[in-house]
Amino acid sequence: MNPLMERRLRQLRSRVLVRSWEYRQRQHARGAWFRLRRVLTFAAEAYIVSPDDARQLVAEGRRPEPAGDEFEPPKLIVFATRERVARLRGARPVPVRLTRDLLAATCLVLVPFVTPASRGRTRRA
Amino acid sequence: MMVDSQWAFRPAGHHTPADARPPARFAWRLWAWAEAERGRERVAGCHYRPGWGDDVARWTWPTALPILVVVTFRDRLLATIRAAKPVLEAPGVMVVGSEVPNLLEPGAAATLIVSQDLDVGVPVEHHAEVKRQVAELHAFRASPEEPSVWVPREPGLLEVNFIGMDPTQDPAEAYVLDDDQLPLLVFGALSLVSPGVELDLMETRVRLPRAAGLVLEKLVTDRTGEKGERDLLVALGLLMTATPDDIDEVEIMFRRLRPELRHVVRSNLTILSLLEARPGMPDPGPHRADVAALLRRLEGEEGSDP
Repeated sequence: MNPLMERRLRQLRSRVLVRSWEYRQRQHARGAWFRLRRVLTFAAEAYIVSPDDARQLVAEGRRPEPAGDEFEPPKLIVFATRERVARLRGARPVPVRLTRDLLAATCLVLVPFVTPASRGRTRRA
Repeated sequence: MMVDSQWAFRPAGHHTPADARPPARFAWRLWAWAEAERGRERVAGCHYRPGWGDDVARWTWPTALPILVVVTFRDRLLATIRAAKPVLEAPGVMVVGSEVPNLLEPGAAATLIVSQDLDVGVPVEHHAEVKRQVAELHAFRASPEEPSVWVPREPGLLEVNFIGMDPTQDPAEAYVLDDDQLPLLVFGALSLVSPGVELDLMETRVRLPRAAGLVLEKLVTDRTGEKGERDLLVALGLLMTATPDDIDEVEIMFRRLRPELRHVVRSNLTILSLLEARPGMPDPGPHRADVAALLRRLEGEEGSDP
């Protein structure tokens, strides 16, 4: 076998092994990154807010996203409508990406995409 | 905000005349354009069986001097197709990989900036026939370093990269089909790919894969680094032209994958959703709602697990 092809094959198989190892850890700490990305995928917009504002949103009945608890320091992540976010003074919009600002934030409010089905299943937003 | 997504929550296999056409937001521009142009012949030797016409629209976030890059690259891509005709028309052969969305762009506009090669998928059961046709590739010669890559003998052409496809293979596996003349690295993920539309380009019949299989092939493959992220944006380009039927097919094929591979698909969708725009590639920003809807749809009752 051509040595280069053999090396590529070995590399491919190594990546598959690593991927399987990561998959087996999906419910453990390593899976936290997937869960954070997943939550962000469903967010049309993201805002950094103060801890007081975040706690207020929770007090109003919004459930913190469990993905936020899996980081140190923990992140309080809640979904809310854009209208509700507009009433939060000091809410700072950030791109919905794994930027330094977003990762450093301890309190995030996400505005969900609204689809026909998600309207039916959305918790209080 | 109300987002009307074609991908959201329509059970697979349930079609009504109303939702069969036209496809909604994600592909509507291309669909409407293709419908309007149906039947019109293209210039420059490109005849699209589905009836796509002359205009060259772009899907991608433009580069500083896009026209210079695009015209040159498109010319090279089409010239490569013409020069590779003997193998492209061999039984079972398909163009796979990053050039597929370039060819699916209206007028084969080829505005995606991808690597400068043409991936040619060779079914292992047709290897012998393709090998015979390789002898007719006068414009190329096998690379001494990597014999599955054929490099152009003259400027103005792209490399031709032969890749093995074995429909019986596990999508996570790979093997080498060893051969003195045309060895192939056979990628398991390409077992998800099946023949789809045929294009007439430069008097060459070019088979492309069905969109659903190629999208899943992109999403089921481990993607890391700049190349990996660009590959995900290629998947986005394919999704941008997908019809509702294609998305139904993605869902059906997704459910047949084993849990680990389903997880990889979902994971890659989350990565795709959070990618930054890159020059010369489809911008994920305007399509994030559709990616979210697709992810939601694939998860279905399964929820976020496994």
